[in-house]
Amino acid sequence: MRDNTKGGALTEVTFYILLSLYTPKHGYAIMQFIGEKTGGRLSLGAGTLYGALNSLQEKGWIAPCGDSRGRKKEYFITLQGKETAEKELVRLNELVSVAGGIIGSQ
Amino acid sequence: MSKRCYRYFGGLLTAQENWLNKMSKKGYRLVRTGKVLYEFEDCKPDQVRYYVEFIGHKSVEHAKEYYSFLEEIGYQVFYKNYNLNYSAGKVRWRPWAEKGGRIATNAGTFNRELLIVEMENDAKPIELHTSYEDKEKYYSNLRNPWLFMLLMFAVSAMITRSVLFGAAALTVLFPVILYQTQVMKMRCEAKIKERC
Repeated sequence: MRDNTKGGALTEVTFYILLSLYTPKHGYAIMQFIGEKTGGRLSLGAGTLYGALNSLQEKGWIAPCGDSRGRKKEYFITLQGKETAEKELVRLNELVSVAGGIIGSQ
Repeated sequence: MSKRCYRYFGGLLTAQENWLNKMSKKGYRLVRTGKVLYEFEDCKPDQVRYYVEFIGHKSVEHAKEYYSFLEEIGYQVFYKNYNLNYSAGKVRWRPWAEKGGRIATNAGTFNRELLIVEMENDAKPIELHTSYEDKEKYYSNLRNPWLFMLLMFAVSAMITRSVLFGAAALTVLFPVILYQTQVMKMRCEAKIKERC
């Protein structure tokens, strides 16, 4: 994943995964969340999701839930991950206002 | 009724995938795989679809983790061998694999280089890899073993001046070019778009 930490621009997939994990979820629930929120526009393949989850864990933005007594492995967003997501929201708002000013918001 | 078929596809991943999908269209779904064996049971025609994925570069741990991850998503997953090799106590060096997967043994990742993933036909999303960057990575993982073989054959050909090694090098050049083309295509697309 080519997420630029300095500039704060995340890929859409990364941002949605981070958002989905504000409440802990397992893999399938993340896919469902993204499908629902985007009305099916963004559908995430299992292989791509697996790769994304691994690299987000390496970055320390998400972590697996400690009590994996349940069969399915769940993940949650870390404090560092939340910071990243908040920064991204600010960046997106800026982008929207610039684009709205030029294209005209409707 | 179960049906047994004996086939060997080797490195022809797409051919294997197409054949399994053709079986599904005829109303057969996979229940068991062996070295060359595919055992099917009856199902509704076109009820399931198949993907064949290369995981030979993964470490034992990651291969198992990925396997159970796909199972948790709700897919049926089968291990499959890439090579035909029956010897016990096999150890193989894979310099192109990730850390922890470079020594492949029978107990670990040897003869488990592929995953056959079965999903219901109405399952979404349709593909396993949906972003350009992820596809680029996947194709380069497919390319690397061939690239390594190409290098070995080329070096051997130069040292021994043997036509045989030269011919072998030329043969493996074909898959290398094929996968490299895909890698470059995905990389190019990833610069503008992130999803396929």
